[in-house]
Amino acid sequence: MSPYVLVLLLFTLGLGTTLAFVSSHWLLAWVGLEINTLAILPLMVRNHHPRAVEAATKYFLIQAGGAAVLLFAGVTNAWLTGQWGIQQATSPIFIGVISIALALKLGLAPLHSWMPEVFQGLDLNTGLVLATWQKLAPLALLFQIQPANSPLLIFLGLASTLIGGWGGLNQTQLRKILAYSSIAQLGWVVLVVQFSPSLATLAVLVYIVAAAATFIILKLVKSTNINMLAVSWAKSPALVAMAPLVFLSLAGLPPLTGFMPKWLIIEELSKQGLGPAATLAVLTALLSLYYYLRITYAMTLTMFPNNFSGVPPWRLRPLQLTFPLACLVTGTISVLPLTPAAIALVAL
Amino acid sequence: MLYCGNLLLLGVVVGTAAVAANPSPFYAALGLVTVAAMGCGFIMCSGGTFLCLVLFLIYLGGMLVVFAYSVALCADPFPTGLAEGSVAKYMAGYLLLTGGAAQCTTLAPPFWWSVGQEADMSAMQGEAEGVSEAYGGGGIILISCAWALLVALYVALGVSRGSSRGPVRPIK
Repeated sequence: MSPYVLVLLLFTLGLGTTLAFVSSHWLLAWVGLEINTLAILPLMVRNHHPRAVEAATKYFLIQAGGAAVLLFAGVTNAWLTGQWGIQQATSPIFIGVISIALALKLGLAPLHSWMPEVFQGLDLNTGLVLATWQKLAPLALLFQIQPANSPLLIFLGLASTLIGGWGGLNQTQLRKILAYSSIAQLGWVVLVVQFSPSLATLAVLVYIVAAAATFIILKLVKSTNINMLAVSWAKSPALVAMAPLVFLSLAGLPPLTGFMPKWLIIEELSKQGLGPAATLAVLTALLSLYYYLRITYAMTLTMFPNNFSGVPPWRLRPLQLTFPLACLVTGTISVLPLTPAAIALVAL
Repeated sequence: MLYCGNLLLLGVVVGTAAVAANPSPFYAALGLVTVAAMGCGFIMCSGGTFLCLVLFLIYLGGMLVVFAYSVALCADPFPTGLAEGSVAKYMAGYLLLTGGAAQCTTLAPPFWWSVGQEADMSAMQGEAEGVSEAYGGGGIILISCAWALLVALYVALGVSRGSSRGPVRPIK
């Protein structure tokens, strides 16, 4: 693909998200979501592999369906109430339909099944864009509708953390595991979005940093399944030694950054009198922990024998830019002491 | 006018059924053209003369692209027509279902609002105002939408290129 076209498409991707962010009108929000979907498709089919085209087609169908439901709900709302504003949506039925449409676009369980399939067909760079940037526009709309239909969002959140943990258990393909991990993390976000949007923002930001670190690590060691992780230590020993901390941060273990959003979300849920929901969410996070641990085990905790010519790649300079990765890994591992600052930042 | 409107709406339903019955892309495009033409005719009957013209031109542009792409990129050596086996069966089934549903839902006697405020000469007023608004206040949005359509064109080309060697092929 020509670099000019690539830049134009990335610009369009940004334009779509920006439109969805700034719009206060359902029609414009829909336009933003559609531009977003259209702009990512050529990036997905860039290498024109049949699997990538299949993934792009699946992604397009799902996103178009979600956007159509969103538009339908917006038009129905305008028809019934005469209001086009995003924050003026008051009818619970309408907000429910919008939430379901956004859940389909975000890949929340039980509307998640497209996500592992789509991720598996893409390279890790596009997967990273899909797991982080593409979530922003629907999430911005979800934050704005001020949901009153609490049982629906709690159900979506709990189902996502459960399915996100459960579905990843028997996977050997890393991109599918990352897709399930994404589902689980977004489940936490959706669980708390109606009680504390600022906490949900914090969870999204932490997830974006952690997901970026994960995808770029896997990109650097060129691994797409667990077997390939076994020899990754030869590529970059220092990075592979840090990698378990990144994965365990995604799992939410205490001295790492990933613990912060989970901790605060559990606190908020307990304050709202949702003890059982919080307990269930924590228990399902254990399922996620299992597959993160398995990745850690294959990647770092065991050192598989390798022939002599397979060992020295770490002596060569990596071709990839490593400074962003260093920042992301540091952010993923060590921001927990800055929790008060982070809370103050998102509560602005 | 009511009779004419109902006839046009029937055309919309038949065209949609022709698309939904999964024929070859050529015939599906034909169905889409039927839907567009009949729908625009219906809007015209309801008083939106300018609106239906614009809508029809845009639809026609889209249809041309769909048609050109489907012919040039995914050309079927043995296209499935509308009158053939499964397509005809599905189409008849969809039409029967729609007719049954229409029979079951006995609405109030049909009435249609005109597109403008009234069916008299003031209908032109609203449309002219809308157009000037779209070009005036909504200029940037109009440009974004046009850009999105261009990107859509590129996407369709990018996904479906390669004809029989490409990833998107007719299943036999």
